[in-house]
Amino acid sequence: MSESTGSESFATAWRFARRDLRGGFRGFAIMLACLALGVAAIAGIGSLTGMVRDGLARDARILLGGDLDIRVTGGPATDAQVKWMRERARVSLAVSMRAMASRPADAGPHQGRSRSLIELKAVDGAYPLLGSVILTPRMTLDAALKADASGIFGAAVERGLLARLGLKVGDAIAIGLARLTIRAEVENEPDKASGAFKLGPRVFISEAALARTGLVQPGSLIRWHYRLAYPPATDGAALEEALDAAFPEASWRVRNIAEATPRIQRYVDRAALFFTLVGLTTLLVGGVGVAGAVRGHLEAKRDTIATLKCLGARARFIFMVFGLEIALMAATGMVVGLGIGIVLPLALAPLLAQYLPVTAEFALQPLALAAAAVYGIAVAALFTLWPLAQARDVPAAALFRGLVGSARFRPRAGTLLALATAGLTIAALAVASAFRPSFALWFIAGAIVAFGVFTMAGNTFARLAARVARGLGAAGRPSPRLQLALANIARPGAPARAIVLALGIGLTVFVALAEIEGNFQRQLDSRIPEAAPAYFFVDIQPDQVAAFEKTVRGVPGAGDINRMPSLRGRIARANGTPIEQVTVGPSARWAVESDRGVTYAAAMPANTDIVAGEWWPADYKGPPLVSIDTRIAEGLGLGIGDSITINVLGRELTAKIANTRQIDWSQLGLNFTMIFAPGLLEGAPQTFIATVMATRQAEEKLAQAVTDSFGNVTAIRVREALEAAADALGKIGIAARLTAALALVSGILVLAGAVAAGRRERTRDAVILKITGARRRDLALAYVIEYGLIGLGAAVIAAILGTAAAFFVLTQVMEADWAFLPGPAIATLIGAAGAVIGFGFAGTWRALAQAPAQVLREAARG
Amino acid sequence: MIHLEDVRLKLQSRAGPVEILRGISIDVKDGEAVAVLGPSGSGKSTLLMVMAGLERPSEGRIAVRGTDLGALDEDALALFRRQHVGIVFQSFHLVASMTAIENVAVPLELAGHADAYPRARAALESVGLGHRLDHYPVEMSGGEQQRVAIARAFAPGPGLILADEPTGNLDSATGEQVIEILFRLHEKSGATLVLITHDERLAARCPRTIHIEDGRIAADRARAAQ
Repeated sequence: MSESTGSESFATAWRFARRDLRGGFRGFAIMLACLALGVAAIAGIGSLTGMVRDGLARDARILLGGDLDIRVTGGPATDAQVKWMRERARVSLAVSMRAMASRPADAGPHQGRSRSLIELKAVDGAYPLLGSVILTPRMTLDAALKADASGIFGAAVERGLLARLGLKVGDAIAIGLARLTIRAEVENEPDKASGAFKLGPRVFISEAALARTGLVQPGSLIRWHYRLAYPPATDGAALEEALDAAFPEASWRVRNIAEATPRIQRYVDRAALFFTLVGLTTLLVGGVGVAGAVRGHLEAKRDTIATLKCLGARARFIFMVFGLEIALMAATGMVVGLGIGIVLPLALAPLLAQYLPVTAEFALQPLALAAAAVYGIAVAALFTLWPLAQARDVPAAALFRGLVGSARFRPRAGTLLALATAGLTIAALAVASAFRPSFALWFIAGAIVAFGVFTMAGNTFARLAARVARGLGAAGRPSPRLQLALANIARPGAPARAIVLALGIGLTVFVALAEIEGNFQRQLDSRIPEAAPAYFFVDIQPDQVAAFEKTVRGVPGAGDINRMPSLRGRIARANGTPIEQVTVGPSARWAVESDRGVTYAAAMPANTDIVAGEWWPADYKGPPLVSIDTRIAEGLGLGIGDSITINVLGRELTAKIANTRQIDWSQLGLNFTMIFAPGLLEGAPQTFIATVMATRQAEEKLAQAVTDSFGNVTAIRVREALEAAADALGKIGIAARLTAALALVSGILVLAGAVAAGRRERTRDAVILKITGARRRDLALAYVIEYGLIGLGAAVIAAILGTAAAFFVLTQVMEADWAFLPGPAIATLIGAAGAVIGFGFAGTWRALAQAPAQVLREAARG
Repeated sequence: MIHLEDVRLKLQSRAGPVEILRGISIDVKDGEAVAVLGPSGSGKSTLLMVMAGLERPSEGRIAVRGTDLGALDEDALALFRRQHVGIVFQSFHLVASMTAIENVAVPLELAGHADAYPRARAALESVGLGHRLDHYPVEMSGGEQQRVAIARAFAPGPGLILADEPTGNLDSATGEQVIEILFRLHEKSGATLVLITHDERLAARCPRTIHIEDGRIAADRARAAQ
């Protein structure tokens, strides 16, 4: 018999599929919803992050402040360096530092605080080279900052500072030794995203006004940013090379537009990865609903499939017909999802606007949409191929013999290959699109474990229910309602397995995120009064140390000063190799990106945790030694006895590594990544940094006493910094929980689908039970018990798995402290049981209301 | 046309293996009409499934129109049915989502006939349903549905028609009409007809009657003249 006999072509299959779908898409509603939700989540997140990335790339020059940003610490660039720059580009200077601003004593009484930490930016007349600073009232920055007729300079400040100090435009403000007039509020700062983490509101002053403040002291933590804007057609790379060649010893850090906003790009990368993986979880959970819908549809088509086979349709044709139907439905769900994903950023972008330096302008993001579509296709394939393959193998003899399908289904090699391809596609896409592939790999491993655990749990749960039901009967303690509930859980085709699987995974994500976020909040909340100092005081000049300590001790409630010298240095070489040529591991990348604080000490600081090597003797006078953070040593591939070179103010200093330390930054104590042995750094310009413990009541007085006496000393209030972090964390937490809620919604959709699929059978059972004497109340109670047990079963496992996942992420990935918080677990238990009872009961309520005669008549008609 | 040689079929059930056919040997000639009679569970429907290539015998040989069905795989069997076999079921088994004409056209479309629809229309007209072409099964009576099923079985012009209790779900008057149509088309087409039934009266319309009991041929009688 030749292969060409007949016409089982694609066109014929398509015709058959269309005919078969005439009955409508009703049975596919859950499938459409599950796929649409998951694809919408991934497409929406991808589109939004794509738009933000586009914005960062589009405005990179503005965000950087030019084509090149040369950041110098320890003092301004030399005249020769500036001359070199000016010969090649337009140049502007912005000097940034942290400082204290205060409400002048003669400004009258005020309820709030009189001083505030600020992010000071002193600019020249050319600033900004690109973009514009928008002020209220409208005026140029130059006009706002220049000195008036009486020689008083102006300042432009962020609104937050005015509120904090009870000031308004036109009032005076003191910064260091200078008294300035607030001339305007800052509405927009074009290059605000390129700087360091902000601890206070922005204040603009002029370069000339900075000189009046007296804040520029040797060793002060000040950054001179020289921004260069090239003439058109300049070869930027060549210019950077020429800069290096002209000033090989310079210790500046040069950034071009590709590195304009590293912090925000990292944040966007992390957020994109996290939210995409949660979106993928939503899609995978929805996959359970997809599989259920497809299985239900194909079960209903069993006779049609067998009939077509009797009429001569081959298995391949059957697969094609029903595969096309499923593909059409999946495509519809995905198109809806992609459509939502396209418009979702329109709704979310305004909410994010205040947190981002760029406008996320609406634009189609083809790559993000393609990724979401591929995820959708792969998940649809993963969850539909198995039931489709089962349908293909429905024997034609099924028409003659009722119970076919009792034989164990063995998929063909091609089906297994296709399933593996779908699974690997999801994994490969997740890994390839993750900025940190290992994280995606862990996610995939976790997803496989979760699916395995919940599948097993569902089966075990059903078997256990059957055993208990039998046991109750055998023990002579019949409990009809409980037995009915258990029998409903255990019977073949019961929704319990699908609900436990889908809802369980959704709940696991929810519990894990709630535990992680709760742990962070707990650490921030609980740590402040116990271990943390009240203030970090920075930029204390060496000649101010004695007076500073005396001032602090004079404040009742303040004490426990911990003080160390502070210098800035950039890691220049590892074992003599320039750092640019060293393959730096992830654990040390942050340390080589910019200059770090370094110090020196004879005695080992308290609470030091030496990992390897030994601390030097207190009277050590030998060759230079250094103690470094063990993570930096690992990342640079360095060990005890190796050398590390740091560039301090243009001078390279090399020391041997004497020991490595494990630093617990969460203790908020005074610590440095690099501590040198005495003898190397004493001569370099330096300041001191001090932490001071204080009672809460003494905090404000302490800041006032210190900053009144030392205008150049900046006070960083730990409580405020932590509150800012907690606030940011809270907002991230809300976003994370909202996204995780999508996975739960997906789980509830699966629940609804599974309950709906068994409604007919349940109605028939209810009628039979009514005929045998069961009251509606008995049946209702049995349903409540059934769904309550399913919900609790899923929730208990989800609480255990989610807590384990949170423990792993916190202790192994984030290296943070861990404590079990019972709140999320209990909330999950109650919420899940309630939700399953509610949705399950809503889905089966009608079964109770059916009149037996009507159901029996319908059953008789077949 | 049909050659069965010591066909045996053993199936697994929960109670253990059950021998449904126990050494059936039959020869049916081209164009012959044979009734297979027997009580419920005697194995007559299984015998039809074996003849249609829907069930593989555990032992023995079956050849239809010279083709050894045991040598064909599932797909080849499907092609074989498409070309040579038409089946009429007790429960009609029309595709619910297809109209009458679409149901009849299915085997023609599968066989790649470009004129599937004109032929399906002609087939429906031949069973008196020319006015019901675009009706769905749910819109038709049982008798009409069975006539559609008969039209579907005969439309591709198969050499063998297998009918499994074709009047089993119909009242006697409707059953009579359906049988009239079945025999009329059998005579007109010259196809071999194997009719499974437990109705002696219906079986009497066939020149040859085979009685099956407990998976064995209890009697194989040919009537001299009808």
